[in-house]
Amino acid sequence: MKMHDVVIIGAGPAGLSAAIQCRTYDLSVVVIDEFPKAGGRLLGQLHEEPNGEWWNGIKESNLLIEEAENLKTDIRLGVSVHHVERLENHYVVHTNTEHVAAKTVLIATGAAESAAPIPGWTLPGVMSIGAAQVMTNVHRVSVGEKGIVVGVNVLSAAIARELQLAGVDLHSMALPATNVVSEDQSNPRAVMERLVRIAHLAPSKFIQFGSKFATFEFVRNIALNFYPKDGIKMWDMPIHLRKAIKEINGTDRVESVTMVDVTPDGDIIRNTERTIEVDFVCIAGGLYPLGELAAVVGCPFEYNEALGGHVPIHNEAMETPIDGVYVAGNITGIESAKVAREQGKVAGLSIVKALTDNAEVAEKVDAAITNVQQTRDEATIQFHPEINEGRATISASFEQLIK
Amino acid sequence: MKDVIICRCEEVSLTDLEDAAKKYNCSARELKLRTRAGMGFCGGRTCRPAVDKVLTSITGEDPTNNIPLKVAPPVRPLSLSDLGGVNHD
Amino acid sequence: MTKRIIDHPVLGTIENERTVTFTFDGKTYEGYERDTIASALLANDVRTIRRHEATGNPRSIYCNIGHCFECRCTVNDVSNIRACLTLIEENMVVKSGDVQPDPLNPNNEGPLPRTYEEYAERKAGDTDENA
Repeated sequence: MKMHDVVIIGAGPAGLSAAIQCRTYDLSVVVIDEFPKAGGRLLGQLHEEPNGEWWNGIKESNLLIEEAENLKTDIRLGVSVHHVERLENHYVVHTNTEHVAAKTVLIATGAAESAAPIPGWTLPGVMSIGAAQVMTNVHRVSVGEKGIVVGVNVLSAAIARELQLAGVDLHSMALPATNVVSEDQSNPRAVMERLVRIAHLAPSKFIQFGSKFATFEFVRNIALNFYPKDGIKMWDMPIHLRKAIKEINGTDRVESVTMVDVTPDGDIIRNTERTIEVDFVCIAGGLYPLGELAAVVGCPFEYNEALGGHVPIHNEAMETPIDGVYVAGNITGIESAKVAREQGKVAGLSIVKALTDNAEVAEKVDAAITNVQQTRDEATIQFHPEINEGRATISASFEQLIK
Repeated sequence: MKDVIICRCEEVSLTDLEDAAKKYNCSARELKLRTRAGMGFCGGRTCRPAVDKVLTSITGEDPTNNIPLKVAPPVRPLSLSDLGGVNHD
Repeated sequence: MTKRIIDHPVLGTIENERTVTFTFDGKTYEGYERDTIASALLANDVRTIRRHEATGNPRSIYCNIGHCFECRCTVNDVSNIRACLTLIEENMVVKSGDVQPDPLNPNNEGPLPRTYEEYAERKAGDTDENA
């Protein structure tokens, strides 16, 4: 078995930009991803920046892929990793087609979507909001004739807009009806809190949406108590914070949803059921860091709400407490693809620093770390307002642990 | 309201979980093993956060820094021919 | 194929795609060369990709990026292939997943089928009666 310098798991923005750094310094690199095209979740992204320019995930991915290919990077697509084995002084990455050995491993597996289960959500035609995004923007197939988005958050609002752009007809966005799983997603007060806190930095239409609720709590209370019956429109699509989807109906595929009115606290108001005919439903329960491979290789984890869930403990240089294991991108916390890309650069340089005696690299790592913070500060899409505090907590845990 | 499935792979519903919890008065881990919630084909990737929340709310156990329901390899289902080395050297 | 998003205001127009022919449960479909099995089927308005092994409830794509395994199917006789991650190829034979035998279920009545063929025969018989 050939011994590589690094195996990078995940060909998203983090994995690819790490690969570019490693190849620039001529390390032997293998990048593995189970999707048939490189780019990861970046591929599906499409939104208008505040300056009016479009952030086109396919274009951005292609830039990274091209650069990696120019550096003759070994990218293996359609390959699934199921285990990372730690041996005495190297790692073996187990895939469905082969075993790959390397001195170091970068785990850049991104995020998975949290479910907001509602009755009927296993019917064909119900999918995660991310599934609809990929089908629409990457595969260019319409997910249905008319649909509804269940779950109101920054991700679902952005993707709802993308569906609209592609000509897919959406009835509205509404909350999931309350149950023990969706409590947080189904409480209008909590949902509005989050929307208002992101409103100041999101693309132009969010600003209008957020400003309607101002920053004072009593205004928000009034707004929720007198929330317009037809919802508040964003790009002509109603967003309902006082309506929830209680059930998805159909025999062999989605035929309709049952919508109910809810109180400002999310309790269902009796006798308000009505049926809305749709043939697809997008469920938006948010994202959580996908850390399973970091877990099997033995990384310690910490629960961190600002970062989206359980994240492997790491420092700003993207090192984990396990010698030779690095992490980058959404596995370290839910943030924009731009942040992931910069984190990947840090991870790549950290690996170069660990494996070579190149004196200039240490400085480059520091500069790249500064870039991550700068990108974070300038991000137009932010998933959690306390992201900086969340990052600081994890870094502190790392220092504590290696002492 | 119709019963809601929490774990899609094994079709374990919220009622199944609540009933099992009531009957056996058990820990989150035991509840998972009894109902198979989160133990299906996807390895819990889809329902893990949901199952965690349900188990926490039923058993009252504190969510800790450890991933509540342990992750073990393989993290993707594997055919025996792939595992057995037909395609390996 | 009416489900295609041919024109897009930002991503542009899809042109000159090569088509690929494949079968799903014996029926022939056409897709684009860059399609996954899942996107090609959806473009043909086919949603149900498998039935739950125990309950028979229908399933389609859920996550579309390989995490949920709901879209698993049999491709050229290899089982448990994710339709959302697998590109279609010319003459590919795709089969949906179906209900599986459950010999240990105490609710089963009568003698157990001894072979898969026997099970499949009986199951086919059941369906005929229902029809």
